[in-house]
Amino acid sequence: MALPLPDTTFRLTALVRHNTTLMRREPGPVISRLVQPLVLITLMHPLYAAALAGEGAQAGTVQVVTGMLVMFSLLALSVVGTGIMTERSWRTWDRLRATPARAPELLAAKAVPAFALLTVLQAEVIGFGVVAFGLRVRDPFLLALAVTCWALALLGIGMALGAMLRSQGELNVAYDIGGILFSALGGALIPRAELPGWARAIAPVSPGYWAMGALRSALNGQVTATLRDTCTLAGVALAVGALAAWRMSRSSPRSRLL
Amino acid sequence: MNVLEASGLVKTYRRQHALDGFTLGVTAGEIVGLVGRNGAGKTTFVEVVAGLVRPEAGQLRVCGVDALRQPRAARALSGVCPQETALYPAATVAEHLRLFGALAGLRGPGLRRAVDEIAERMDLADVAGKPTGLLSGGQRKRTQAATALIAERPLLLLDEPTVGADPATRAQLLAVVADRAAAGAAIVYTTHYLPELAELKATVAVAQAGRIVARGTLGELGLTRVNALLTGDALSTGDLTGTEDGDGAAAA
Repeated sequence: MALPLPDTTFRLTALVRHNTTLMRREPGPVISRLVQPLVLITLMHPLYAAALAGEGAQAGTVQVVTGMLVMFSLLALSVVGTGIMTERSWRTWDRLRATPARAPELLAAKAVPAFALLTVLQAEVIGFGVVAFGLRVRDPFLLALAVTCWALALLGIGMALGAMLRSQGELNVAYDIGGILFSALGGALIPRAELPGWARAIAPVSPGYWAMGALRSALNGQVTATLRDTCTLAGVALAVGALAAWRMSRSSPRSRLL
Repeated sequence: MNVLEASGLVKTYRRQHALDGFTLGVTAGEIVGLVGRNGAGKTTFVEVVAGLVRPEAGQLRVCGVDALRQPRAARALSGVCPQETALYPAATVAEHLRLFGALAGLRGPGLRRAVDEIAERMDLADVAGKPTGLLSGGQRKRTQAATALIAERPLLLLDEPTVGADPATRAQLLAVVADRAAAGAAIVYTTHYLPELAELKATVAVAQAGRIVARGTLGELGLTRVNALLTGDALSTGDLTGTEDGDGAAAA
Protein backbone atom coordinates (compact mmCIF):
# COMPACT_ATOMS: atom_id res chain seq x y z
CA MET A 1 0.00 0.00 0.00
CA ALA A 2 1.33 3.46 -0.93
CA LEU A 3 2.10 5.75 1.96
CA PRO A 4 0.20 9.06 1.94
CA LEU A 5 2.33 11.96 0.68
CA PRO A 6 2.91 14.95 2.96
CA ASP A 7 0.82 17.98 1.96
CA THR A 8 3.76 19.89 0.46
CA THR A 9 4.87 16.96 -1.68
CA PHE A 10 1.31 16.33 -2.79
CA ARG A 11 0.75 19.96 -3.80
CA LEU A 12 4.16 20.13 -5.47
CA THR A 13 3.43 16.98 -7.45
CA ALA A 14 0.08 18.37 -8.60
CA LEU A 15 1.67 21.68 -9.61
CA VAL A 16 4.62 20.10 -11.45
CA ARG A 17 2.22 17.83 -13.35
CA HIS A 18 0.12 20.85 -14.24
CA ASN A 19 3.10 22.93 -15.43
CA THR A 20 4.47 20.03 -17.46
CA THR A 21 1.06 19.65 -19.11
CA LEU A 22 1.04 23.34 -20.02
CA MET A 23 4.53 23.06 -21.56
CA ARG A 24 3.55 19.91 -23.45
CA ARG A 25 0.44 21.55 -24.91
CA GLU A 26 2.53 24.38 -26.43
CA PRO A 27 5.53 22.45 -27.72
CA GLY A 28 6.56 24.91 -30.47
CA PRO A 29 9.06 27.04 -28.52
CA VAL A 30 10.63 23.97 -26.91
CA ILE A 31 11.06 22.12 -30.21
CA SER A 32 12.48 25.24 -31.81
CA ARG A 33 15.11 25.66 -29.06
CA LEU A 34 16.06 21.99 -29.27
CA VAL A 35 16.44 21.84 -33.07
CA GLN A 36 18.08 25.20 -33.87
CA PRO A 37 21.48 24.57 -32.20
CA LEU A 38 21.90 21.22 -33.96
CA VAL A 39 21.35 22.84 -37.35
CA LEU A 40 23.79 25.67 -36.66
CA ILE A 41 26.47 23.41 -35.17
CA THR A 42 26.32 21.22 -38.28
CA LEU A 43 26.58 24.16 -40.67
CA MET A 44 29.19 26.13 -38.73
CA HIS A 45 31.50 23.36 -37.56
CA PRO A 46 33.71 23.45 -40.68
CA LEU A 47 34.17 27.20 -40.31
CA TYR A 48 35.21 27.03 -36.64
CA ALA A 49 37.39 23.96 -37.23
CA ALA A 50 39.27 25.78 -39.98
CA ALA A 51 39.57 29.04 -38.06
CA LEU A 52 40.91 27.37 -34.91
CA ALA A 53 42.94 24.61 -36.54
CA GLY A 54 46.14 26.12 -35.15
CA GLU A 55 44.95 25.63 -31.57
CA GLY A 56 44.51 21.88 -31.81
CA ALA A 57 42.18 19.36 -33.40
CA GLN A 58 39.45 19.76 -30.77
CA ALA A 59 39.49 23.58 -30.52
CA GLY A 60 36.99 24.26 -33.30
CA THR A 61 34.62 21.55 -32.08
CA VAL A 62 34.77 22.77 -28.46
CA GLN A 63 34.14 26.37 -29.57
CA VAL A 64 31.18 25.63 -31.79
CA VAL A 65 29.52 23.19 -29.37
CA THR A 66 29.95 25.28 -26.21
CA GLY A 67 29.20 28.50 -28.10
CA MET A 68 25.94 27.26 -29.58
CA LEU A 69 25.02 25.63 -26.28
CA VAL A 70 25.44 28.91 -24.41
CA MET A 71 23.71 31.02 -27.05
CA PHE A 72 20.67 28.76 -27.43
CA SER A 73 20.32 28.12 -23.75
CA LEU A 74 20.29 31.91 -23.24
CA LEU A 75 17.63 32.17 -25.93
CA ALA A 76 15.71 29.33 -24.22
CA LEU A 77 15.24 31.71 -21.29
CA SER A 78 12.20 32.90 -23.21
CA VAL A 79 10.48 29.59 -22.44
CA VAL A 80 11.15 30.03 -18.70
CA GLY A 81 10.21 33.72 -18.50
CA THR A 82 7.15 33.37 -20.68
CA GLY A 83 5.88 30.68 -18.32
CA ILE A 84 5.94 33.22 -15.47
CA MET A 85 4.71 36.15 -17.55
CA THR A 86 1.68 34.25 -18.83
CA GLU A 87 0.75 33.25 -15.27
CA ARG A 88 0.78 36.94 -14.41
CA SER A 89 -1.08 38.16 -17.48
CA TRP A 90 -3.71 35.39 -17.23
CA ARG A 91 -4.06 36.30 -13.51
CA THR A 92 -3.68 32.63 -12.69
CA TRP A 93 -0.68 33.30 -10.43
CA ASP A 94 -2.92 35.13 -7.98
CA ARG A 95 -5.41 32.30 -8.11
CA LEU A 96 -2.62 29.92 -7.10
CA ARG A 97 -1.45 32.34 -4.39
CA ALA A 98 -4.96 32.31 -2.92
CA THR A 99 -4.69 28.55 -2.32
CA PRO A 100 -2.93 26.95 0.66
CA ALA A 101 0.20 26.42 -1.50
CA ARG A 102 3.29 28.32 -0.32
CA ALA A 103 5.03 30.77 -2.67
CA PRO A 104 8.23 28.65 -2.79
CA GLU A 105 6.12 25.62 -3.78
CA LEU A 106 4.58 27.59 -6.65
CA LEU A 107 7.97 28.75 -7.89
CA ALA A 108 9.60 25.35 -7.47
CA ALA A 109 6.80 23.72 -9.43
CA LYS A 110 7.30 26.26 -12.20
CA ALA A 111 11.05 25.67 -12.12
CA VAL A 112 11.11 21.87 -12.32
CA PRO A 113 9.93 21.43 -15.95
CA ALA A 114 11.94 24.48 -17.05
CA PHE A 115 15.08 23.09 -15.39
CA ALA A 116 14.46 19.77 -17.13
CA LEU A 117 14.19 21.56 -20.48
CA LEU A 118 17.43 23.50 -19.95
CA THR A 119 19.27 20.36 -18.89
CA VAL A 120 17.95 18.32 -21.80
CA LEU A 121 18.91 21.10 -24.22
CA GLN A 122 22.50 21.10 -22.96
CA ALA A 123 22.76 17.32 -22.85
CA GLU A 124 21.41 17.13 -26.38
CA VAL A 125 23.94 19.66 -27.76
CA ILE A 126 26.89 18.03 -26.00
CA GLY A 127 25.71 14.56 -27.01
CA PHE A 128 25.42 15.73 -30.61
CA GLY A 129 28.95 17.15 -30.44
CA VAL A 130 30.27 13.83 -29.14
CA VAL A 131 28.47 11.66 -31.67
CA ALA A 132 28.71 13.83 -34.78
CA PHE A 133 32.06 15.61 -34.31
CA GLY A 134 34.01 13.49 -31.86
CA LEU A 135 33.90 16.01 -29.00
CA ARG A 136 35.97 14.64 -26.10
CA VAL A 137 34.60 14.85 -22.57
CA ARG A 138 37.50 14.37 -20.16
CA ASP A 139 35.50 14.56 -16.96
CA PRO A 140 31.74 13.82 -17.23
CA PHE A 141 31.15 14.68 -13.56
CA LEU A 142 32.71 18.12 -13.90
CA LEU A 143 30.67 18.63 -17.05
CA ALA A 144 27.47 17.60 -15.25
CA LEU A 145 28.28 20.14 -12.51
CA ALA A 146 28.83 22.90 -15.09
CA VAL A 147 25.62 22.01 -16.94
CA THR A 148 23.62 21.97 -13.70
CA CYS A 149 24.95 25.33 -12.45
CA TRP A 150 24.40 26.96 -15.82
CA ALA A 151 20.84 25.60 -15.95
CA LEU A 152 20.18 26.96 -12.45
CA ALA A 153 21.57 30.39 -13.36
CA LEU A 154 19.43 30.46 -16.51
CA LEU A 155 16.39 29.42 -14.54
CA GLY A 156 16.90 32.23 -12.03
CA ILE A 157 17.50 34.84 -14.73
CA GLY A 158 14.45 33.71 -16.72
CA MET A 159 12.20 33.73 -13.67
CA ALA A 160 13.45 37.12 -12.49
CA LEU A 161 12.79 38.65 -15.90
CA GLY A 162 9.35 37.03 -16.10
CA ALA A 163 8.57 38.36 -12.63
CA MET A 164 9.95 41.89 -13.01
CA LEU A 165 9.01 42.97 -16.53
CA ARG A 166 5.58 44.28 -17.39
CA SER A 167 4.64 42.66 -20.69
CA GLN A 168 5.48 39.92 -23.14
CA GLY A 169 6.84 42.61 -25.48
CA GLU A 170 9.35 43.79 -22.88
CA LEU A 171 10.26 40.20 -22.21
CA ASN A 172 10.91 39.51 -25.91
CA VAL A 173 13.16 42.55 -26.17
CA ALA A 174 15.10 41.48 -23.08
CA TYR A 175 15.58 37.93 -24.38
CA ASP A 176 16.47 38.85 -27.94
CA ILE A 177 18.91 41.64 -27.16
CA GLY A 178 20.15 40.15 -23.89
CA GLY A 179 20.56 36.68 -25.40
CA ILE A 180 22.67 37.88 -28.31
CA LEU A 181 24.63 40.41 -26.23
CA PHE A 182 25.45 38.01 -23.41
CA SER A 183 26.31 35.24 -25.89
CA ALA A 184 28.62 37.50 -27.87
CA LEU A 185 30.32 38.98 -24.80
CA GLY A 186 30.73 35.52 -23.33
CA GLY A 187 32.65 34.40 -26.41
CA ALA A 188 29.93 32.11 -27.71
CA LEU A 189 29.95 33.51 -31.25
CA ILE A 190 33.55 34.64 -31.60
CA PRO A 191 36.34 33.18 -29.47
CA ARG A 192 37.04 35.42 -26.50
CA ALA A 193 40.60 36.15 -27.63
CA GLU A 194 39.30 37.60 -30.88
CA LEU A 195 36.88 40.05 -29.24
CA PRO A 196 37.75 43.79 -29.24
CA GLY A 197 39.62 44.96 -26.12
CA TRP A 198 36.65 46.86 -24.65
CA ALA A 199 34.43 43.79 -25.09
CA ARG A 200 37.00 41.56 -23.36
CA ALA A 201 37.12 44.06 -20.50
CA ILE A 202 33.39 43.98 -19.83
CA ALA A 203 32.85 40.31 -20.75
CA PRO A 204 32.72 39.09 -17.10
CA VAL A 205 29.41 40.93 -16.59
CA SER A 206 27.86 38.36 -18.91
CA PRO A 207 26.73 35.08 -17.31
CA GLY A 208 27.58 33.58 -20.71
CA TYR A 209 31.26 34.35 -20.02
CA TRP A 210 31.23 32.16 -16.91
CA ALA A 211 29.19 29.47 -18.62
CA MET A 212 31.63 29.28 -21.54
CA GLY A 213 34.49 29.11 -19.06
CA ALA A 214 32.85 26.42 -16.94
CA LEU A 215 31.90 24.24 -19.91
CA ARG A 216 35.28 24.50 -21.65
CA SER A 217 37.18 23.84 -18.44
CA ALA A 218 34.93 20.87 -17.65
CA LEU A 219 35.38 19.41 -21.14
CA ASN A 220 39.15 19.75 -20.67
CA GLY A 221 39.03 18.23 -17.18
CA GLN A 222 40.36 21.39 -15.43
CA VAL A 223 38.98 21.07 -11.92
CA THR A 224 39.98 24.41 -10.37
CA ALA A 225 38.83 26.56 -13.28
CA THR A 226 35.56 24.65 -13.53
CA LEU A 227 34.85 25.05 -9.83
CA ARG A 228 35.61 28.79 -9.92
CA ASP A 229 33.26 29.38 -12.85
CA THR A 230 30.49 27.10 -11.58
CA CYS A 231 30.60 28.82 -8.17
CA THR A 232 30.09 32.16 -9.92
CA LEU A 233 27.13 30.71 -11.83
CA ALA A 234 25.68 29.27 -8.63
CA GLY A 235 25.99 32.72 -7.04
CA VAL A 236 24.15 34.29 -9.97
CA ALA A 237 21.45 31.61 -9.67
CA LEU A 238 20.97 32.30 -5.97
CA ALA A 239 20.86 36.09 -6.34
CA VAL A 240 18.41 36.24 -9.24
CA GLY A 241 16.36 33.32 -7.90
CA ALA A 242 15.91 35.17 -4.60
CA LEU A 243 14.89 38.31 -6.51
CA ALA A 244 12.29 36.35 -8.50
CA ALA A 245 10.92 34.68 -5.36
CA TRP A 246 10.65 38.02 -3.55
CA ARG A 247 8.87 39.66 -6.46
CA MET A 248 6.45 36.81 -7.10
CA SER A 249 5.47 36.45 -3.47
CA ARG A 250 4.56 40.15 -3.37
CA SER A 251 2.79 40.29 -6.70
CA SER A 252 0.13 42.97 -6.61
CA PRO A 253 -2.99 41.71 -8.41
CA ARG A 254 -4.01 44.83 -10.27
CA SER A 255 -0.79 46.59 -11.08
CA ARG A 256 2.61 46.19 -12.62
CA LEU A 257 1.35 44.71 -15.87
CA LEU A 258 0.79 46.56 -19.11
CA MET B 1 -19.73 33.17 15.89
CA ASN B 2 -18.53 34.97 12.78
CA VAL B 3 -16.75 32.84 10.20
CA LEU B 4 -15.27 36.02 8.76
CA GLU B 5 -14.47 38.91 11.03
CA ALA B 6 -12.78 41.96 9.53
CA SER B 7 -12.31 45.11 11.51
CA GLY B 8 -10.71 48.46 10.75
CA LEU B 9 -8.88 47.27 7.63
CA VAL B 10 -6.81 49.96 5.94
CA LYS B 11 -5.10 49.61 2.58
CA THR B 12 -3.59 52.47 0.62
CA TYR B 13 -2.54 52.58 -3.01
CA ARG B 14 -0.55 55.67 -4.00
CA ARG B 15 -1.98 57.71 -1.12
CA GLN B 16 -5.54 56.67 -2.04
CA HIS B 17 -7.40 54.69 0.60
CA ALA B 18 -8.75 51.56 -1.07
CA LEU B 19 -9.85 50.39 2.38
CA ASP B 20 -10.34 52.93 5.12
CA GLY B 21 -11.51 51.23 8.29
CA PHE B 22 -13.35 48.43 6.50
CA THR B 23 -15.33 46.39 9.02
CA LEU B 24 -17.49 43.40 8.18
CA GLY B 25 -18.58 40.19 9.83
CA VAL B 26 -20.19 37.16 8.18
CA THR B 27 -21.72 34.26 10.09
CA ALA B 28 -22.03 30.63 9.01
CA GLY B 29 -24.81 30.15 6.48
CA GLU B 30 -25.03 33.88 5.77
CA ILE B 31 -24.62 35.44 2.34
CA VAL B 32 -23.39 39.00 2.48
CA GLY B 33 -23.87 40.86 -0.77
CA LEU B 34 -21.11 43.42 -0.93
CA VAL B 35 -22.17 46.27 -3.18
CA GLY B 36 -20.68 49.65 -3.98
CA ARG B 37 -19.52 51.80 -6.81
CA ASN B 38 -16.32 50.98 -8.67
CA GLY B 39 -13.41 51.84 -6.41
CA ALA B 40 -15.45 51.47 -3.22
CA GLY B 41 -13.05 48.79 -1.96
CA LYS B 42 -15.00 45.59 -2.67
CA THR B 43 -12.32 43.82 -4.69
CA THR B 44 -9.50 45.05 -2.45
CA PHE B 45 -11.38 43.61 0.52
CA VAL B 46 -11.70 40.25 -1.26
CA GLU B 47 -8.00 40.36 -2.13
CA VAL B 48 -7.09 41.06 1.49
CA VAL B 49 -9.21 38.18 2.76
CA ALA B 50 -7.78 35.92 0.02
CA GLY B 51 -4.27 36.75 1.27
CA LEU B 52 -3.21 38.45 -1.96
CA VAL B 53 -2.85 41.92 -0.49
CA ARG B 54 -1.63 42.83 2.98
CA PRO B 55 -3.45 45.66 4.74
CA GLU B 56 -1.56 48.36 6.60
CA ALA B 57 -3.86 48.19 9.61
CA GLY B 58 -6.81 46.30 10.97
CA GLN B 59 -7.69 42.81 12.06
CA LEU B 60 -8.91 39.84 10.10
CA ARG B 61 -10.05 36.46 11.36
CA VAL B 62 -11.33 33.45 9.44
CA CYS B 63 -12.95 30.82 11.67
CA GLY B 64 -11.02 32.34 14.55
CA VAL B 65 -7.65 32.11 12.74
CA ASP B 66 -5.72 35.39 12.59
CA ALA B 67 -5.46 35.69 8.80
CA LEU B 68 -2.79 38.39 8.93
CA ARG B 69 -0.49 36.33 11.15
CA GLN B 70 -1.35 32.91 9.69
CA PRO B 71 -2.38 33.67 6.10
CA ARG B 72 -1.82 30.13 4.86
CA ALA B 73 -4.02 28.62 7.54
CA ALA B 74 -6.71 31.16 6.68
CA ARG B 75 -6.40 30.47 2.94
CA ALA B 76 -7.00 26.80 3.64
CA LEU B 77 -10.41 27.77 5.02
CA SER B 78 -11.64 29.76 2.04
CA GLY B 79 -12.51 29.35 -1.62
CA VAL B 80 -11.95 32.34 -3.91
CA CYS B 81 -13.55 33.18 -7.22
CA PRO B 82 -11.90 36.37 -8.50
CA GLN B 83 -13.58 39.03 -10.59
CA GLU B 84 -11.60 38.44 -13.77
CA THR B 85 -11.68 35.05 -15.41
CA ALA B 86 -8.30 33.49 -14.71
CA LEU B 87 -7.91 30.11 -16.39
CA TYR B 88 -5.22 28.29 -18.37
CA PRO B 89 -6.44 28.25 -21.99
CA ALA B 90 -4.52 25.04 -22.84
CA ALA B 91 -5.67 23.08 -19.78
CA THR B 92 -8.98 21.27 -19.77
CA VAL B 93 -11.87 21.87 -17.39
CA ALA B 94 -11.15 18.59 -15.59
CA GLU B 95 -7.46 19.49 -15.24
CA HIS B 96 -8.42 22.81 -13.65
CA LEU B 97 -10.76 21.11 -11.22
CA ARG B 98 -8.18 18.45 -10.33
CA LEU B 99 -5.47 21.07 -9.78
CA PHE B 100 -7.51 23.36 -7.55
CA GLY B 101 -9.05 20.39 -5.74
CA ALA B 102 -5.58 18.98 -5.06
CA LEU B 103 -4.29 22.36 -3.86
CA ALA B 104 -7.28 22.54 -1.52
CA GLY B 105 -6.19 19.23 -0.01
CA LEU B 106 -8.48 16.74 -1.75
CA ARG B 107 -6.89 13.44 -2.75
CA GLY B 108 -7.51 10.14 -4.48
CA PRO B 109 -11.11 8.97 -4.68
CA GLY B 110 -12.29 12.05 -2.75
CA LEU B 111 -10.75 14.32 -5.36
CA ARG B 112 -12.21 12.33 -8.25
CA ARG B 113 -15.64 12.37 -6.64
CA ALA B 114 -15.45 16.12 -5.99
CA VAL B 115 -14.41 16.77 -9.62
CA ASP B 116 -17.31 14.71 -10.96
CA GLU B 117 -19.82 16.26 -8.58
CA ILE B 118 -18.92 19.89 -9.19
CA ALA B 119 -18.67 19.32 -12.96
CA GLU B 120 -22.16 17.81 -12.89
CA ARG B 121 -23.54 20.54 -10.63
CA MET B 122 -22.14 23.35 -12.81
CA ASP B 123 -23.20 21.66 -16.04
CA LEU B 124 -19.60 21.15 -17.13
CA ALA B 125 -19.54 17.37 -17.38
CA ASP B 126 -19.94 17.38 -21.17
CA VAL B 127 -17.01 19.75 -21.67
CA ALA B 128 -14.74 18.38 -18.92
CA GLY B 129 -12.19 17.18 -21.49
CA LYS B 130 -12.10 20.46 -23.42
CA PRO B 131 -9.36 23.08 -23.04
CA THR B 132 -10.87 26.18 -21.45
CA GLY B 133 -9.60 28.29 -24.34
CA LEU B 134 -12.22 26.58 -26.50
CA LEU B 135 -15.15 27.16 -24.14
CA SER B 136 -17.90 29.76 -24.37
CA GLY B 137 -17.85 32.73 -21.99
CA GLY B 138 -20.53 31.16 -19.80
CA GLN B 139 -18.69 27.85 -19.59
CA ARG B 140 -15.50 29.65 -18.60
CA LYS B 141 -17.38 31.55 -15.88
CA ARG B 142 -18.79 28.29 -14.55
CA THR B 143 -15.36 26.63 -14.67
CA GLN B 144 -13.85 29.51 -12.72
CA ALA B 145 -16.58 29.31 -10.09
CA ALA B 146 -16.25 25.52 -9.95
CA THR B 147 -12.55 25.76 -9.07
CA ALA B 148 -13.53 27.90 -6.07
CA LEU B 149 -16.41 25.65 -5.06
CA ILE B 150 -14.79 22.22 -5.53
CA ALA B 151 -13.67 21.96 -1.92
CA GLU B 152 -16.39 22.72 0.61
CA ARG B 153 -14.87 25.56 2.60
CA PRO B 154 -16.39 27.42 5.55
CA LEU B 155 -15.83 30.73 3.72
CA LEU B 156 -16.48 31.56 0.06
CA LEU B 157 -15.36 34.80 -1.57
CA LEU B 158 -17.13 35.37 -4.87
CA ASP B 159 -16.12 38.59 -6.61
CA GLU B 160 -18.72 39.51 -9.23
CA PRO B 161 -19.01 35.90 -10.37
CA THR B 162 -21.89 36.54 -12.77
CA VAL B 163 -20.50 39.51 -14.71
CA GLY B 164 -20.98 38.81 -18.41
CA ALA B 165 -22.75 35.51 -17.70
CA ASP B 166 -25.87 34.52 -19.64
CA PRO B 167 -29.14 34.01 -17.68
CA ALA B 168 -28.73 30.23 -17.53
CA THR B 169 -25.19 30.46 -16.18
CA ARG B 170 -26.29 33.11 -13.69
CA ALA B 171 -29.19 30.95 -12.46
CA GLN B 172 -26.89 27.94 -12.06
CA LEU B 173 -24.32 29.92 -10.12
CA LEU B 174 -26.92 31.45 -7.82
CA ALA B 175 -28.43 28.04 -7.12
CA VAL B 176 -25.04 26.59 -6.14
CA VAL B 177 -24.25 29.62 -3.98
CA ALA B 178 -27.60 29.30 -2.19
CA ASP B 179 -26.95 25.58 -1.63
CA ARG B 180 -23.54 26.23 -0.16
CA ALA B 181 -24.98 28.80 2.22
CA ALA B 182 -27.72 26.35 3.21
CA ALA B 183 -24.97 23.84 3.97
CA GLY B 184 -23.40 26.33 6.38
CA ALA B 185 -20.81 28.24 4.37
CA ALA B 186 -20.34 31.95 5.01
CA ILE B 187 -20.36 33.76 1.69
CA VAL B 188 -19.14 37.17 0.60
CA TYR B 189 -20.68 37.93 -2.77
CA THR B 190 -19.72 41.17 -4.50
CA THR B 191 -21.99 42.34 -7.27
CA HIS B 192 -23.57 45.33 -9.00
CA TYR B 193 -26.87 43.46 -9.51
CA LEU B 194 -29.22 43.98 -6.58
CA PRO B 195 -31.85 41.51 -7.90
CA GLU B 196 -29.28 38.72 -7.46
CA LEU B 197 -29.00 39.60 -3.78
CA ALA B 198 -32.77 39.61 -3.41
CA GLU B 199 -32.88 36.18 -5.03
CA LEU B 200 -30.17 34.90 -2.68
CA LYS B 201 -31.94 36.49 0.32
CA ALA B 202 -28.60 38.03 1.12
CA THR B 203 -27.70 40.63 3.67
CA VAL B 204 -26.56 43.73 1.82
CA ALA B 205 -23.43 45.60 2.86
CA VAL B 206 -22.85 48.88 1.06
CA ALA B 207 -19.21 49.90 0.60
CA GLN B 208 -18.29 53.49 0.02
CA ALA B 209 -14.80 55.01 -0.05
CA GLY B 210 -13.22 51.96 1.54
CA ARG B 211 -15.67 51.30 4.36
CA ILE B 212 -19.07 49.78 4.96
CA VAL B 213 -21.64 52.53 5.35
CA ALA B 214 -24.83 50.48 5.60
CA ARG B 215 -25.86 46.92 6.22
CA GLY B 216 -29.13 45.05 6.31
CA THR B 217 -31.52 43.20 4.08
CA LEU B 218 -32.76 44.99 0.99
CA GLY B 219 -36.11 45.29 2.73
CA GLU B 220 -34.55 46.86 5.79
CA LEU B 221 -32.35 49.30 3.92
CA GLY B 222 -34.81 50.10 1.16
CA LEU B 223 -34.02 49.72 -2.49
CA THR B 224 -34.20 53.46 -3.12
CA ARG B 225 -31.70 54.19 -0.39
CA VAL B 226 -29.25 51.51 -1.59
CA ASN B 227 -29.59 52.72 -5.16
CA ALA B 228 -28.96 56.28 -4.01
CA LEU B 229 -25.76 55.18 -2.34
CA LEU B 230 -24.66 53.21 -5.34
CA THR B 231 -25.31 56.02 -7.78
CA GLY B 232 -23.87 58.69 -5.49
CA ASP B 233 -27.13 60.62 -5.24
CA ALA B 234 -28.11 62.95 -2.43
CA LEU B 235 -28.05 60.55 0.54
CA SER B 236 -25.02 60.73 2.74
CA THR B 237 -23.78 58.10 5.12
CA GLY B 238 -25.28 60.08 7.96
CA ASP B 239 -28.73 59.36 6.58
CA LEU B 240 -28.29 55.71 7.30
CA THR B 241 -28.59 54.12 10.65
CA GLY B 242 -26.79 51.03 11.83
CA THR B 243 -23.58 51.35 9.87
CA GLU B 244 -21.27 48.37 10.18
CA ASP B 245 -19.48 49.03 13.42
CA GLY B 246 -19.86 45.49 14.46
CA ASP B 247 -23.25 46.09 15.99
CA GLY B 248 -25.40 44.21 13.52
CA ALA B 249 -27.92 45.08 10.87
CA ALA B 250 -29.21 48.47 9.91
CA ALA B 251 -32.65 49.57 10.86
CA ALA B 252 -35.05 50.39 8.08
